This record gives sequence, structure tokens and C-alpha cells, in this order.
Amino acid sequence: MIRLERRLQQPWWLSVAVPVGSLAVAFAIMAVVLLASGHEVVDTYRKIVEAGFTGNGALSATLVSATPILFTGLAAAAAFRMELFNIGAEGQLYLGAIGASWIALQLGDHGAGSTPLFVVSMCAAAAVLGALWALIPGVLKAFANTNEIITSLMLNYVAGLLLTYLIYDSASYWRDTSTLQARAFPQGKPMPSAAEWPSFGSNVVVPLGFAIGVGVAVVLWFVYSRTRFGFEVSVIADSPRAARYAGMRTRRKILAVMAISGAVAGIGGASQVAEFSHTLDGSPQGLQAAAFGYTGIVVAALARYNPLAVCLVAVLIGGLLNAGFTLQGADFPSGLVGVMQGIILFCALGGELLIRYRLTLRRRSRTHVEGGTTPEAAA
Amino acid sequence: MNDGLLVIVLAQAVLYGTPLLYASLGELLAERSGVLNLGVEGMMVFGAAVGYWATQRVHGSDEVVLTVAVGAAALSGAAMALIHAFLTITLRASQIVSGLALTIFAGGLGLSAYFGAELHLADLPATHQFRSLDVLGLGDMPFFGPILFDQSLLVYLSWLATLLVGLYLARTRLGLNVRAVGEAPASADAMGIDVALYRYVHVLVGGAFAGVAGACYSLAIAPGWVSGDVLVNGAGWIAIALVIFAFWRPELCLVGAYLFGGLSALPFALQAHDVTITPEFLQALPYVMTIIVLVLVSTAFARRRLGAPAALGRPYVREER
Amino acid sequence: MRGITKRFPGVLANDDVTFEAAAGEVHALLGENGAGKTTLSNILTGLYRQDEGDVELYGETVRFHSPRDALDAGVCMVHQHFRLVAPFTVAENVVLGDHRKEASFFLHGRSTERAVAELGERYGLDVPPRAKIWQLSVGEQQRVEILKALYREARILIMDEPTAVLTPQEAVALFATLRSMAEEGKTVIFISHKLHEVKAVADRVTVLRGGRTIETVAASGATPQSLAALMVGREIEVLRPLEEARQLADVLALEIEGVTVPGDRGEIAVRNVSFSVREGEIVGIAGVAGNGQRELAEAISGMRDIRGGTVRVGGRALRGGDPRESILAGVSHVPEDRLGTGLAPSLSVTNNVAIKTYRGRSLSHGPLLALRRMRDAALGIIRRYDVKTPTPETPVRNLSGGNLQKLVLGREFEDHPLVLVVAQPTRGLDVGAIETVHAYLRDAAASGVAILLLSEDLDEIRALADRILVMYEGEVVGELRAGHASIEEIGLLMAGGRGA
Repeated sequence: MIRLERRLQQPWWLSVAVPVGSLAVAFAIMAVVLLASGHEVVDTYRKIVEAGFTGNGALSATLVSATPILFTGLAAAAAFRMELFNIGAEGQLYLGAIGASWIALQLGDHGAGSTPLFVVSMCAAAAVLGALWALIPGVLKAFANTNEIITSLMLNYVAGLLLTYLIYDSASYWRDTSTLQARAFPQGKPMPSAAEWPSFGSNVVVPLGFAIGVGVAVVLWFVYSRTRFGFEVSVIADSPRAARYAGMRTRRKILAVMAISGAVAGIGGASQVAEFSHTLDGSPQGLQAAAFGYTGIVVAALARYNPLAVCLVAVLIGGLLNAGFTLQGADFPSGLVGVMQGIILFCALGGELLIRYRLTLRRRSRTHVEGGTTPEAAA
Repeated sequence: MNDGLLVIVLAQAVLYGTPLLYASLGELLAERSGVLNLGVEGMMVFGAAVGYWATQRVHGSDEVVLTVAVGAAALSGAAMALIHAFLTITLRASQIVSGLALTIFAGGLGLSAYFGAELHLADLPATHQFRSLDVLGLGDMPFFGPILFDQSLLVYLSWLATLLVGLYLARTRLGLNVRAVGEAPASADAMGIDVALYRYVHVLVGGAFAGVAGACYSLAIAPGWVSGDVLVNGAGWIAIALVIFAFWRPELCLVGAYLFGGLSALPFALQAHDVTITPEFLQALPYVMTIIVLVLVSTAFARRRLGAPAALGRPYVREER
Repeated sequence: MRGITKRFPGVLANDDVTFEAAAGEVHALLGENGAGKTTLSNILTGLYRQDEGDVELYGETVRFHSPRDALDAGVCMVHQHFRLVAPFTVAENVVLGDHRKEASFFLHGRSTERAVAELGERYGLDVPPRAKIWQLSVGEQQRVEILKALYREARILIMDEPTAVLTPQEAVALFATLRSMAEEGKTVIFISHKLHEVKAVADRVTVLRGGRTIETVAASGATPQSLAALMVGREIEVLRPLEEARQLADVLALEIEGVTVPGDRGEIAVRNVSFSVREGEIVGIAGVAGNGQRELAEAISGMRDIRGGTVRVGGRALRGGDPRESILAGVSHVPEDRLGTGLAPSLSVTNNVAIKTYRGRSLSHGPLLALRRMRDAALGIIRRYDVKTPTPETPVRNLSGGNLQKLVLGREFEDHPLVLVVAQPTRGLDVGAIETVHAYLRDAAASGVAILLLSEDLDEIRALADRILVMYEGEVVGELRAGHASIEEIGLLMAGGRGA
């Protein structure tokens, strides 16, 4: 009979072997799904790898896809590690984009020219707005014990509506009203050219945002594993009661972690505006269609909330997404990417079990004792 | 008078509130057994797709086709819920992450889109849909007529469902058992109740309800199929919030569902009556209201400690040392 | 039960245990904490499955796959930690999980309540059937557990450490109930580690030690000493009460004046309580759980607000409600819920040792943690307080109860507190660990720490405390000095009688 026993120690290699193993299982399951719907398996996978990683310019395009989810993945990881389920990275990213584009336009209007100034100020503005948006569910959780999952999620929809409003239904600062066409077909003002963030490399082009993201990841990793702040986070995550017993300020931690999470997501929004869309894209096909926030949660979960691993997983999922865009068409059905992400996540969740528990096989043996029993014996 | 703004809004509140009601009843059942299922949104979208597909594939009279379609939607929701149940009950995974994964997997950017694209659902016109039934001819009654007596069968069935769920939980032995499973699984286990079985059943039934809720959209409210996240647009999440709002009681789910249904219907009704308020503001109302309601409920019950099944969200392991 | 063997990760709980009990007898299963009694009974009730061995009921071999099988076979257990559903009523709890074929689909509230009331009358277990469990006292809750078994017409009833939560008078009443059940032909298995109780109620006693059966003796022929020797395998000092209070300087470390503390449900848990503890003094608070002791301890340690009155530590008044304030004032708290409150279960021993002191200069460089120094601090405590753990990185949930307690005590002592509040320090510990913990407490007192000891174990309080206060319904109803505190007097006060 197969039994599950809780492990006393968790060998380190398991933390790597199991996620890799569950990825393999996920691809196997995906293959079955593809077959069942009449698609060619090996061919599809080959196309994905080529479009995502190995093809000409594929890796650069993948890094473009990976950058936003790197930020939202870090945002999710930062919060989830303390059992704070910030689902609102999506909305926090939008707010970050709003903030970054505002300051870029302001600086542009006043003739500021240097790119470093734009980079710094856009990141700062984005971080502030993202953090504020995240503090709404944070405050509600810390002081009114309100479920942060629902509140942060609801704010995603509100943020999306705000974005739409700014571009579509108002004459806001962000909206481009310069040409007749722009007035008829709503769109955001274009960013000043100096606001465009640089990128590095020739063969493989690394966007500045990605580099910033990796930097943020390293900082997060350091803070969470080597500082007092990180220590408190780990205690609160394990046992809020013990944290309170030890005199830790749980409420302040909740606010701090949510702010950090929101700030990181916000910077992702700045990156989007500065590097890729060059405008505040409020259209239904723009920021809101990309589901960066939700994909970030997938990335964080797969990376087991380790900031350094998030970088790797972001590239992996980015490759998948990129392949999805490139290959879209009759042969490569839409929704496939979401299905793949879901299956990978399911397998990762299942694999978690193997990390925490051990499968043992036990044979039930019988002992037969000869001789009678006392007639009155009950048990 | 039956054309007045208030009547229309109330009638629409019932219409739009019905999928919320089904979904929240389903989630209520799952949560009463101690399992949080955040995949409601995904299950609803999938149910909408499958239900719509069924109307295209099955031929026959309206009654037959629609019955089969609703059944198919229910089954599809349950199938999705099975994944979540297996992961969280048998494999003891995090209920929160699993539910989120299910939403991503099954939702508008995942399986439902895949399904819809493969079967070209968006291109097919709606063939069968639920129409309003004029009950006992009372549909023209002033004020209450359009609100209560001129709705589709799905609406009336939802009232029956609310009643049955309420009776089940409060008055039957099985209901008592499942409540025990949600409050104190160790005690229930010691009394010989199969905790895992009860949880599986209730999560699956919850999924079935969510599938039916989705079908409400594609078969009644906006017959047809649109890819992406637009069809359900967050209703699944509002349904989850509704369960908390209703203090885990079916009759309050009904009240809440219609309240939020009304908020969803408000923008369109106002527009039709030439009242101009920024559409985004109105559209944001249901979400903002959800937050406000949740805050009020949380502080109230932080003090009174009533409502949430005590074991909600935690896996139950018997041989834990 | 023959040749029963049961293993858990890292522990052999039952090792080839053989145990038999007859119909119509009260059979005690005696052993210290950790001897394997609860595991054995969990196997008998279907909660665990044995790795090896057989169970026979009335001559027939049975195999229980789940608690339901055991219940169907007439085996019922009243657990140490009750298996009740708190928001349900008494009647609902009794009826829960009734799988008999006659059980109806719909619940019939009133007839069930009547049946429960009748059953209660018959066996002298009166509880209002409509009351919700959380409204009942612990003793009443236990009666509900017994009613559950009687409702199911149990033939074999297992009581697991039932008197831990009762006043001495309630315990006597329980024994009478158990004897009358045995007279009806039922089999009662009484699990305990308390020697005089076992002698008082049982016909025969089976002693378990280290997971093995040692011997089965007739209760009439055994003495507490002989039983203790079997239980522990060596001669031990049966806990003797303190002869007289020690002479102490009159420096007040802890002063409680007119303190009122709110409970979890908005009610008043501690009502206008006043007392003080001198440096080096051990003051014990006796009382059955639920009379305000826990809330009082939490108020002193800052985990609960102080609604009225003053708490002064070392002369300085506390604002209350802030654990950090209490810690800085010199209060150390060893909570009764070691793994849930005092420690973070998944974190390592090292991290748990640092849980209060990580902010200090010795363990951190500004915002950064000094990991090596944290490890050294942990190693120090492991060594000095004999905490058995594979490594300092082991998650604390893997440690046994005794080692957990030594760890927490060690951590708190090393902080050089002015006041040490200890709640149920030896609950669930084996005799060796109990002796060690008592020794630490005495040493701490000797070095000047004021100790407030909350315990449900009267023997422990009488052995350690210089003064004994008894709490009942949130008030201090009596104060007794060491050497003048008899069990009868304390018991009377615990049950609400006013004392001298």
C-alpha cells in the first residue's frame, strides 16, 4: 500500500529536480492535448522552441515578452512569500504605466533631454503609484482584516477602467488630441523620444527594463534572505501568532510588503511604456489584453517564490508567450498558451507534494498467534 | 410604468444576478466543506463555451437542446473542478494557487479560448436560447410583472436551487455532516465521516453550478460566444466575494446576487434612458461595491466571529503527527 | 490487541504491544507521556492503521480502515482534545455522523434534543441539549463526548486522560459514571499517567513504557510506588508538595492591581484581579482551563489588551496590548501552545532561538543578520539545555514535545527576564523531561526571576509554588501558602467555593 509520509528534511536538490520534472510531465500532457485536437506534436514543439529561443532574433523578442512578467512575477513572489496573495499586480502595473507616462510627458513638455533622467523619474513615479494602488488592499488587510485576494483583484478591474477612461472617455492629459485622426480614434500621446529606454547587445538585445528587473530580483533576494526585514517576513509567513508573540510589528510588515510588491509591478508598467509601446496604451488590445499580472503569478508560483528563479522562469514563459504571438494562426490555436501555462502550473503544484512528502511502500504483515483467548475478552 | 427606469433596472438585476447566484451557491457549497475554489471565473467561461457548443451540435426542439446544453455546461464545470479537487484534497496543494491556476487554465485566455477557436464558436450564430417565460400570465402585472414573472427558466430554477441548498445545509443529516467537515474536519473524521469524499462531492457540485452560471451568459443573457475575457468579465470573482458577503448563507446569496446584478445592469439601463454618466465610472461600481461590502463584513465578523467555516482553506491530513 | 507495531517518521510508537480488556471492567492503560498509549488507542478506534499485529473484538479478528468501522463495531473514544464542532449544539454533536440505517435523512431537532436529554439523565451527565459547544465549560464538553458514545450504544469506551481538565470533584463524579457503565457490561479503557486516579477507578492496570507492554497488574494489589516504578523503569520521586514557602526579599517584580482583561468573545475574562509576585518567588495559579488564566497570562505578556487596572513590571506600568513592550520590560512568556504561539514550526531551531533577539546588536549588523552569531547562540542553548535535535537547521516541528519545551525555556531564560510567565510547562512531557523542566524553574527562581506558573496539574503546583492562587470565573477566589494547601481545599476553590 502506498503511503504518504511527511519529510523531516528537504534535500536541496529536490527543489530543482521536482520543478524540472513537473515541467517534463506538463509537456507530456500538453502533447496529449495537441494530439487529441489533431495537431502535430513534435512539429508544434519544434516551432515553439524556434520561435521562442533559437530562431533569428527569437531570444531578443523573448526578452521583450519576459520583461513585464519578470516584474509582475517578482511582485507576486515578494508578496506571496509572506502569504499575502497580491493578485493585483495587473492593476498595479497599469497604475505604474499611468504614472510613468505622466512624468515623461511632463518632462518632455518642459524640455528635459537626458535619458537617464527619464529612466529614473519614470521608475520612481511608476513605483510610487504602483505602491499606492497596492496599499489599498494592504491597508484594508492590515487594519480591517479584509481578504486581500478579492480586494486586489477588484482593483485590477477598476484600474483597467481608469486606463480606458483616460484614453477613451475623457480629454485627459494623457490623451493625444493633436491631430484630427487622434481625436476621432482615441489614443495616448506619444512619449518624447528621449524617454525611450536604451537596450544593450547586438546579437541578443537586452532591454534596459530586463536588466533593471534582474537587479530588482537580486535586491529582493538579498533582503529576504539576509536582512532582519526578511527574517520577520519568514516568521510572519510561517506563524503570524508567533510573530506577534515575539513582538514583531505584523501590520507594518503587511503594508511594507504590499508597497514593495506594488512598486515592482509599477516599474513593469514604466518599462512597458518606455520600451515597447511608447505611449499609454489604453486600448482593449493594449496593456489590458496582455494579462501581465496574472501571468506573473504563474511565473512566481513556478519559481517557488524565489526572486532569482523568477528571472529564469520569466524567460521561459516569455519564450512561450513569444512563440504564441509569432505562431498565431490556424495552425497554432489561440488559448494554447493559457492552456500550457495552466498545465505547467498544475504539474508544479502536484510536484510540490513530492517535495513535502515522501512516498513509501509498505507491506502489511500479519502475526498469527496460536491458542485460545479468554472467553470474556472484549479487545 | 413597466417601462420606467426602476422597473427595468430591477428586472435586469434579476437577469444579470442569476449567473452570480448560481456561481455563488456553488462556491458556497465548496467552501462549506472547507475548500476554497478560486477557479470560478474559469469554470464559468468554460461552461459558457461548452453550453454554447452543445446548442450548435444537438438538434431538436428548444427544450431538449437547452436541457442538454445546460447539462453539458454543468458537467464541464464539474470536470474543471475535479482538477482543483484532486490537487487540493488528494495532493494537498495550496488551494489558492490551484484555484488561480484553474482560472488561467480554463478561462478566457486558456482552454475556453482554445475550445472556442477550434470549434469556431464565435462564427456561429445563436440557434437556441432561453427566452422569457410569461408565468401564469402575470408578466404584465404592474411593477412586479417584468421583475418576477417574465424571466427565463434559468432564473426560476435558480430560486429553486437557492431553496434546496438552504434546506440541504440546515435541515438534512448530510448537510450537518458537511458543515462539520468544514468547521472541524478532525472531529468529523473521528465521527466516521469521510472528509475527502464530502469535499470532492461538494467541490464538483460547486463546479457544476459554476458551469451553469456560465451558460447563463451564452444561452440567455448574451446569446453567442465571444473569445477572451469579455463574456463573464469578472463575475466569477464577484461571486466568490458574494459568498463572504452572504455569511455563507444561501438566502443572502440571493440578495447579494441581485444587488450586484443591478449594479452591472445599471450602466446600460441608464444609457438607454439617456442619462449620461461616465460609463467607466458606472462599470467600476460593482467592483468598488464589492470591496466596500467586504470591508464592512470583515470588520463585523472579526468582532463577532461568525461565518467562515473554520477549516476553510486548509488541507486535512489524518495521520499528521 | 496482539503484537501491535506502529511507526511514524523518526519514531517507533508501538513496539509489539499486547493488551486485552474484559467486558464489564474498567481497565487502565498507564504510562508516561510518549509511552504509546494514545497511539494504541487510535489504532483501536480506526484513526491509525497498525503496521503489524491484530486486533480482536469479542473473539473475532477485526480490521478497521477508518474511524467509521470502529464506531460501527461499538468502539468509541473520548479524546484528550475533544472532537467536537464548536459552533454546533450539543444535540447536533451527539447526532453527527450517525450512519445507522434507521437514521433519517432530515434532522429532527426537537426529538433529538429530547433523546439527548433523556440519555443525560440516565447516566448523570446533564448538559442542555440546545447549548452551543463553545458556550459550555470544559467539563460539560467532556460529558457531551461521553454522550456521543452512549448514543451510539458503544460497547467499548476509551477515555484518554479525562481528568486533565476536571476539578477533583468533577473527576470523582466521572469515576462514578465510568463504574456504572462497567457494571452494565461495557468495557471502559482508561488512559492516564496519573497514578492515584488509576488506583481509584480501575480494576486492572496495564503499564506501557517506551512503546512496549511492561506488565498487567490488578489495581488492588498495586501501590503508587510500584506503578511508578513500572511506568518509568526506575525509582522516581513521586512529586511531593513543597513543605513551606521559601524566605524571600520583599522586592516586587510583578504587580497586578485590579486588572480586567477582555476575552475572545467580548466578555470579561479576568475580573478585577490583584496580586503580586516577588523576585525569586514562584506563584502558582491553579484552576481548570477556561477560568481566565490564559487571558491573564496574555495580558501580562502583551498579547492581549488590559482593559482596566495596572500591570507593573519592575515598578513600571505597562500600557498593555503590545508584546514588544512587555518583552522590553523584562517579561518572558512560555505559552501553553508551544508550537503554535511560542515557535514558528517550519523554521529552524536557529531562527526560532533568534525570534525575539534578532534585533539586538549581538545578532545583527544594522539591518543585516549576523547568521553565524545566530547559529552560535542556538548551539549554546542546545548544549546548555539539552535540546535534542539533529542539527540547528532542523525545523522545530520535528522536535519532540520535551525538547520543544526545553528549547523555549532555554530561549526565555537566556534573556534574563524579570518575570517569567509559564503556562502548562509539562503538558505532554515524559517524566525525565518533567524533572528537567522543574529543575530549570527552581534554578531560575533561585537566581531571582519572579515566576508566575499556570498549571492544571495540582501536583506540579503544590511541588513548586511558594504561594498558590486559585482562579474561578475570572477572579482570584483564594490564596494558599505552600505547606498549607491540601488538594481538597484547592479543589473546592477551583469549583467555585469561597476559601479562607
